[in-house]
Amino acid sequence: MLNGRAALRGLAGFLLALAFWFGFSRPYERAIAAGAQTLINLFESPDVTRLQPGNGEILLDRRDFPPGSARPGLPGPDIHFNFVLLVTLFALDRKPLRGEHVARFLAAAAALFFVHVVALVFQVHSVYVTSLGAWSEANYGPVARNFWAAGFHFYQIAGRFAAPFALWWLFGRREEEEPSERPRRAGKKKRRG
Amino acid sequence: MSEVLVSARRRSVGFLLRFVALLLVFYLIVASHPVNDAVIVPFTAAIASVSGRLLNAFGEKAEVAGTEIRSSSFGVNIENGCNGVETALLFGSAVLAFPASWKRRLLGLAAGFVAIQVLNLLRVITLFWIGIHRPALFNSSHTVIWQSVVVLFGVLLFLLWASRQRPLSAERSPTGRDRSRKG
Repeated sequence: MLNGRAALRGLAGFLLALAFWFGFSRPYERAIAAGAQTLINLFESPDVTRLQPGNGEILLDRRDFPPGSARPGLPGPDIHFNFVLLVTLFALDRKPLRGEHVARFLAAAAALFFVHVVALVFQVHSVYVTSLGAWSEANYGPVARNFWAAGFHFYQIAGRFAAPFALWWLFGRREEEEPSERPRRAGKKKRRG
Repeated sequence: MSEVLVSARRRSVGFLLRFVALLLVFYLIVASHPVNDAVIVPFTAAIASVSGRLLNAFGEKAEVAGTEIRSSSFGVNIENGCNGVETALLFGSAVLAFPASWKRRLLGLAAGFVAIQVLNLLRVITLFWIGIHRPALFNSSHTVIWQSVVVLFGVLLFLLWASRQRPLSAERSPTGRDRSRKG
């Protein structure tokens, strides 16, 4: 699977993904912020959390924050830059633009979008549990504090890198084509001999 | 779907489950305070120290204090996520989850860890240079480009290593190449 051609396809995929990511990361951030806000609001009563993307940061606002106080900014790229990894891994395929492979990529990208939304939910709650002083201590117990903070820390350290790899492994590899590679290889060997 | 494909799919999913479980275990070990303080922080400081020496050898006047590298105009603090440990965790979990002999796994782990750290040193030095000479490019180089390159390197290293394990583990390989069924 890994040869010079695959490396070239990977490089092309990486560069295309970078260009796409730089061009579309702002609208994408709006989409994950909307998804995360909806998910957070579902479990809030009253629903006070507001996520406002802009300029590479997602501003975390609450309707019950004092009007003049500073709003924490969450760095968006840290959450979703791993889209570039996913595209590069899918580009390694022998026929990356084949219809079925593109469909599998879209399924993996949709799953990665869901991962990003959940990661942002964890990030927001990790701010709530660790960064708001007495308010954090009054509203979250030790179990909740560890759950949200460790969950987001796991995403930062391992999850954001593992997610594209796992999704590619699940959606992007084509086991059904591998047996057909064998006769071709055997044929090549014969010609060489 | 044929029986062979179902079996290959099952092995593939089995690999993925082992990979995720190992990643969680390694994360818990690395994130624990005793391991972080006794291993990760000194290791990160060693990376800063080697990077500082290399930067000085290339003519940049860099000073190192713990995990920080500073010059008169720029400074960085190497944190978790920038010390190559995250890529090593990913690589190590994948190698250990893959069916191969322990000797090959350990050789793969050692060689992979060294290769990842060499590339990570290059990343730290390059980012420091960019921070001094092209500061406008620092954020995108740091977050997107170099981070992606190091992780992709770890993944490709694993795929390369895994592709060389087939002769020993063909029957159990999650790549689905079940040689006993070739017919």
